[in-house]
Amino acid sequence: MIEPVKLADFFIVFFSAASVIMFGATYALLFAWSRMRNRPRLMPLAYLGYVGLFISVIVLGVHANLFNSTFWTVIVLLMLLGYLVAPQAIWHLCVGTHADEHEPDPEHVKVFQQR
Amino acid sequence: MAALGVLDSANLNGGQKLAVKYFAVSVALFGAQVLFGLLAGLQYLNPEFLFGILDFSVNRMVHVNAMVVWLLFGFIGSVYWLLEDESGVPVVGLGFGNLIFWIFTLAVVVVVLVYLLVQVGPGEKSSIWLINEGREYIEAPRWADIGIVVCVLGFFYNVAATFMKGKITGIGGVLLFDLIALAGLYLAGMWFTPNISMDQHWWWWVIHLWVEATWEVLVGCLMAYGLIKTMGVRRKIVETWLYIEVALMFGSGILGLGHHYFWIGTPEYWFTIGGFFSALEPIPLVAMVVHALFDAGHHKLKSNNNPALGWIIGQAFGNFFGAGVWGFMHTLPQINLYTHGTQWTASHGHLAFFGAYVTMVIAFFYIAVQKWRGNVWMSGNLVGAWKWKWAMFLLWAGMITMTMALLIAGYEQSQIERAIGGSDWMAYFAAQAHRWFTQAMVWRQVGGWMFALGFVLLVWDLMTIGKRETRSTYVIEPEMAKAAV
Repeated sequence: MIEPVKLADFFIVFFSAASVIMFGATYALLFAWSRMRNRPRLMPLAYLGYVGLFISVIVLGVHANLFNSTFWTVIVLLMLLGYLVAPQAIWHLCVGTHADEHEPDPEHVKVFQQR
Repeated sequence: MAALGVLDSANLNGGQKLAVKYFAVSVALFGAQVLFGLLAGLQYLNPEFLFGILDFSVNRMVHVNAMVVWLLFGFIGSVYWLLEDESGVPVVGLGFGNLIFWIFTLAVVVVVLVYLLVQVGPGEKSSIWLINEGREYIEAPRWADIGIVVCVLGFFYNVAATFMKGKITGIGGVLLFDLIALAGLYLAGMWFTPNISMDQHWWWWVIHLWVEATWEVLVGCLMAYGLIKTMGVRRKIVETWLYIEVALMFGSGILGLGHHYFWIGTPEYWFTIGGFFSALEPIPLVAMVVHALFDAGHHKLKSNNNPALGWIIGQAFGNFFGAGVWGFMHTLPQINLYTHGTQWTASHGHLAFFGAYVTMVIAFFYIAVQKWRGNVWMSGNLVGAWKWKWAMFLLWAGMITMTMALLIAGYEQSQIERAIGGSDWMAYFAAQAHRWFTQAMVWRQVGGWMFALGFVLLVWDLMTIGKRETRSTYVIEPEMAKAAV
């Protein structure tokens, strides 16, 4: 079911796994930042972050022997797709939850002192 | 109301008075955790140190158990803190809640004294009932186990009855369901079975499902309340996010349990389940970071309590790195085969617990002390602000130093002990004697001392912050929030 990582590949597996999450966060943050500040120039950088994530996932897949089984190959594909879509979904949720920012909220009084 | 800057219980409602008692015990146990962690760390450098008096096994046990209990006390205190605020009515059964607090505290003192003075007993059931149950991280003897469940049920009664009498907000509703799971899951770690695989199977229900599901959700509730209180973020926004995060957290975290089932004798399908859901687990953590930064940017980091906001933002990053990055680095079974149970796990555990939970409880300490001193000014140009900033720096720097040192030690162990040595007894000692490991232990101790210094400064700051302030915290106009859009 699983094929353990070779000794020589330990470092690259740890590093690429960490890079998956780091590039994922970079992509999500730059994506949100570009939209929030209305700076379209940042968007290519965000997608560059995704390219970094893509490479990291492939490197992880190769060195952790994930492509030797159908199941783990599917996991890799899901990771690539999921991490591509997730930051965009997160962004839409951020916008959606703040959409009615100007509506008065009768339940919440903007008083900073604790009751 | 008392003079500004003076600690006065008249500034607090009933639930908050009980909360500060929990916070006081929580800080004391935090100190115990740091102390016994330092002692255990010293024993790595000098194995003869306190040998036969306070063995490593005892120090480590108290170190870990103190952490679990001080965080629990911190969480319970935080819930009592927000309870009247959220429900709009006084805490139902507050006297009972106070009684539960004293029983719980007394039980903890007795358990710790037994850990330190009795330590071990004969291999009989009486030892399980009176001294030590023997299950890692939840070693409390059986009588204390039952006591914990009774106390948590009493606490749940306070919370549920108060929300039932008052209004159930989104935060309150999530909190109620989460507390049922929190209390219920503890039962899974209490029954006895002679089959070690089955025993571990249920034991992980407590450890994993508490830490990676119910505690995360509880912290999500506390963060929601904290963002409303410190930045004036609209309730509708934080509650919507709370629901999203709860769905993502439970969706990925419950079956993420599988990554603990790789090597304990459970069926092979746990490889697939654990691998798949572990790959999903970082998503809510990324979402939390983006959401926290989105709101912080949206409100231009304006806050009425800078130390609390600092720790809340630290929580988003700490949770992301400690649980997300450090977790995913070694969660797939192909590599976890070598890292499971090495110092790598300790590295992940240190950063994740600190990042996800300690930060949030400390934020609540600051929220509490502000009101306790009569809603004193705790924003920009705070008198004596250097203390909270240095405490935060030293605690983070100490934790990062420890995490990196343990990471190096774990990397070495996974190679020398596991991959090359084949995990036998000789390989274990060969890895422990390796230069990378011993040097890492020195650096871990250096990080520990930094952390301890940060803890002392934190306690000093909590006792004095706002004392010399003469300004009251400000009232934000609704326009300010609109202007920040």
